[in-house]
Amino acid sequence: MVVLLSKLPVADSVKLCHRVVDGLCGRQPPCRGDYSATWSLEEWLELLSSLTALFRLAVGNNSSDEEVLAGLSGVGSGGHADTVLSVLRAREEEIRRALLDRTNSISTATLQDFDWQLKLALSSDKISSLHTPLLSLSLDVREDGALRPVTMEMNRDELNTLINSLEAANKVMLQLK
Amino acid sequence: MEEVDKILIHALKQVGTEVSEEIDSVRQFSSELIVEAVVRCIRVIDPGLGSTLPTSLPPGMSARFRVGMSLAQACQDIGYKGEIGYQTFLYSNEPEIRSLLMCLVEKLPRESAETSDQPTGKSVVLQRAIAAAIKAQLAVPWLPTNCRLPLHGETQSPAALHNFHVQPLSLPNCSKGPGKKQLKELNDYQRDILPPVTAQPSHHASVVASILEQHTAELSAAQEWDNEWNSQGLLSRLTPQEYQSRKLTRLRKRIEEQLRSAALPSPESAFGGPRSTSDLGELLQAFRASAPSDHILTKGTHFTHTQKFTFTQESAAVTNSIPSRLQSEGDSQQRQQEELASLQQQLQQLCSDVNQLTADMKHMSVTNTQVLDELKQREMGNSEKEEKMQVKKKTIDLLPDADNNLLKLQALVEASAKRVVNLASQWEKHRAPLIDEHRRLKEICSNRDLESSRKLSEIKSLHDKIRVSTEEARKKEEMYKQLVTELENLPQDVSRSAYTQRILEIVSNIKKQKEEITKILSDTKELQKEINSLTGKLDRTFAVTDELIFKDAKKDESVRKSYKYLAALHENCNQLIQTIEDTGTILREIRDLEEQIETENGNKTVANLERILDDYKAIRQENSALAAKVREG
Repeated sequence: MVVLLSKLPVADSVKLCHRVVDGLCGRQPPCRGDYSATWSLEEWLELLSSLTALFRLAVGNNSSDEEVLAGLSGVGSGGHADTVLSVLRAREEEIRRALLDRTNSISTATLQDFDWQLKLALSSDKISSLHTPLLSLSLDVREDGALRPVTMEMNRDELNTLINSLEAANKVMLQLK
Repeated sequence: MEEVDKILIHALKQVGTEVSEEIDSVRQFSSELIVEAVVRCIRVIDPGLGSTLPTSLPPGMSARFRVGMSLAQACQDIGYKGEIGYQTFLYSNEPEIRSLLMCLVEKLPRESAETSDQPTGKSVVLQRAIAAAIKAQLAVPWLPTNCRLPLHGETQSPAALHNFHVQPLSLPNCSKGPGKKQLKELNDYQRDILPPVTAQPSHHASVVASILEQHTAELSAAQEWDNEWNSQGLLSRLTPQEYQSRKLTRLRKRIEEQLRSAALPSPESAFGGPRSTSDLGELLQAFRASAPSDHILTKGTHFTHTQKFTFTQESAAVTNSIPSRLQSEGDSQQRQQEELASLQQQLQQLCSDVNQLTADMKHMSVTNTQVLDELKQREMGNSEKEEKMQVKKKTIDLLPDADNNLLKLQALVEASAKRVVNLASQWEKHRAPLIDEHRRLKEICSNRDLESSRKLSEIKSLHDKIRVSTEEARKKEEMYKQLVTELENLPQDVSRSAYTQRILEIVSNIKKQKEEITKILSDTKELQKEINSLTGKLDRTFAVTDELIFKDAKKDESVRKSYKYLAALHENCNQLIQTIEDTGTILREIRDLEEQIETENGNKTVANLERILDDYKAIRQENSALAAKVREG
């Protein structure tokens, strides 16, 4: 629960909240090692999940200050509620963008990253002089929350086919707009 | 000549000839060096011709002779017009070699001529740089891992390559302008807590990738918006904000339609409920109400949701019963099993109940709609029938006093007809000005339309012009940059400015000399003229004197003597002049001869003759040795 936050001084809790938001936006989440003296593992996980849910709900529902403070009523003294609120207001845009991204990648498999390398095959086991350019394309596909690398190697024709089909897909996307 | 020799030696060095540092003029070239230089030039000019020629002279004399002949032939093939033969290479003399080398160096292909033909642009420079880098890397031989020096590490060890992983970055956006006031909390965050962009990603390797990705995303978004605004937004005659909001509502409507059409065919799913909603927001609210917020967004059916719900409830119940279970640990196992079995049974029962209920609900909803439709139809039929009945009732009421009522009706009809005519005329009266007004307004409207479309087209053309000119400016800037880089890349060892300065000096020298020559020429001409006039005067004076004295000579003896003296004087003077002229010609001849001697001295004739004699002796020795061998054989 968010009440657990009051174990930490206000200055540190601001940092922690920002790190939580970082994790929400796809960057490094806070490290348990830094706070192992303050909370047990169970409490830590609970605090993290409740803070994340709080930020998400508040931004998703466009909650006003009063609503958020009402949700934080248990935190009580020491101005912790105000810190959480200020962090929320400061990072609202970022959180909204992260939520939109999450909504965009609603399908079962989404493309997270891609990378390519151009290689020049000088020879093969049958031909001594080949000199064929090959493109190795690696896609990081997120499937049910887990990353799955997909790697393929293509010659010029295959690459052209891929590009053509991707362009056709883009055209369909543009028509939807 | 030293300048020329320097340029020649530099060009030869570029071709690949190894000219040692001490040699700084053509005079010091040995036969071997000349042959190497000429062959390398020929190889560059015409690789097919040059590949058959050796770069060094063979030891045997006759072989040397043959090499000289073939070289001379090759030079003539390339287009050297001067006199050339084996002797040019074997028994060199300076001016001939210089003219031959100059001819060859002039024929060398120019690199600058090639590069200036190629298309220009920043990308071309980049591509050329990439090509050069790849070529250099391909030229490096592959080495096994153990033998690699740190120098090869960059290109050959796979450790230096990172995968392209992107993480979102948080950048303070300063370019929002004064219109949007930044929140105080946001400012505090950016000032105190936000780490620098290089510290934001968790791995250092993904910093570059993340920045590149962010930049590309922002750039492409801006470009897309620009394109769309220029192509469609301008034509819609709205402000950007209005255009965006209109697009947003259109998209919302589309999504709503899609969702509703997807939700309608499956009324048993939880999303089938909110049929009467009219807004996307309400629809989404309905979704949210039916689907509890999860960490991972999943599309679930009603069944999965109910299942989850019952499970959580049961788990809550289980946690509540924990303390009671602690008391009796002995038979807890058995009880747990029993409980589990009963719970599973309950679950199955509940599931089947739910299934049955959903099926019932479906059935009921279908019958409900059917019944509602039927009811509506019945009601409509009812009201029609009621109207009919009322008309019939009235006619029946009127029937008893038929004639009277008929008259009344006729009067009523006439009155109403009159009223209609009256109203029509009144309407006409009102209508005419209104129509005029309408026409006028329409005309104004169309005028405005025309004007606005004209202005729109003007704006469009202006946009086009702006784009074209910016593109042009960019192109020119790129070209300028490219030229600057090319200039920087040009070899710096030959100082261009020194050459041009030297050339300018030479040109000015030539001009000065020309002026002097013309001055001397005019002087000579003047002198010639003076000499001519003087000789004429002399001739005339002599003729007059001669006549006068000849006349007097007949009378006086002394005068005859003086006449004789005069004749002798004249003859002697003539002889004197002749002698002076002769001396002049002889002096000129002497100078010519001296020059000839000098050139002959330059030709190293004596040394060459000695060498020729030596070579002749060598050839004779070779011949005699060969003959002896033949005899022995």
